[in-house]
Amino acid sequence: MSSRRSRQSSASVSRISDDQIIELVSKLRQLLPEIRNRRSDKVSASKVLQETCNYIRSLHREVDDLSERLSRLLATIDADSAEAAIIRSLIM
Amino acid sequence: MWTPCGMARMRPHSSLKQEFLKEWIKGLQRCSFPKKSILERKKAIKLSADIAMASARNGTTCWSRALISSAARDGSDNNHLVKQILGPESDRPAMENKAPAREASVCKKILKRSCRIRRRGRRKCGAAAAAPSSIAKHLVKKRRQILRSLIPGGEFMNEICLIEETLDYITSLRVQVDVMRSLATASVRGTE
Repeated sequence: MSSRRSRQSSASVSRISDDQIIELVSKLRQLLPEIRNRRSDKVSASKVLQETCNYIRSLHREVDDLSERLSRLLATIDADSAEAAIIRSLIM
Repeated sequence: MWTPCGMARMRPHSSLKQEFLKEWIKGLQRCSFPKKSILERKKAIKLSADIAMASARNGTTCWSRALISSAARDGSDNNHLVKQILGPESDRPAMENKAPAREASVCKKILKRSCRIRRRGRRKCGAAAAAPSSIAKHLVKKRRQILRSLIPGGEFMNEICLIEETLDYITSLRVQVDVMRSLATASVRGTE
């Protein structure tokens, strides 16, 4: 990604909004695993948005996979209070 | 970890986990489990997890309200299952749109202010608004549209709300994934 393009797209973000948006975008960057590992401070708005969308999609996929796994695993466990209490104590 | 940056709804991570787990177990108990197929059970688990994630926010965020109201909407898929999970009317989390009106008017003010700034900036740039910057803006706009489609209720949010809601949504999704993963690994250990 050329530095000129990234400068311009980040300029368009800060021109459109207050410092508040810059602060929020930086918080977003902290949440994203891929961007957080990069040393560079110059990440364009477009890149942040792209990584955000990818991250959300991967989280959705993970929830879907886990639901499927749990559905198979919980085959023998009823959702009644005794078993649920045991599982609760396993997690806390 | 989280600084209370003026948003009262920010809560420490562990209490959000417990809130989610409590709501999720409540919802699961309301579904009648044993007779269903794996696919049906998966749908019930996922649906109750999503509703629990939204309920844990207790109506304080747009996305959580949008998630629950679109799931409970008459004519939506799995409507009966959703009603089961949500339980009796008295138990249902806040879905009313009193808060969004306030947020929307604040957002509109900020948007008007920023539109004025944008127009001023554009006048200064004039001929400098060449192809590269408009391509970049177009790209950002396209990515924003995609983000809107991923966040529940995103179509109704403006830019600032969208980013705030995204932060909260991602946090809640991570809690959901953490708790579900812990349960999955605990269950495996329990059955070995």
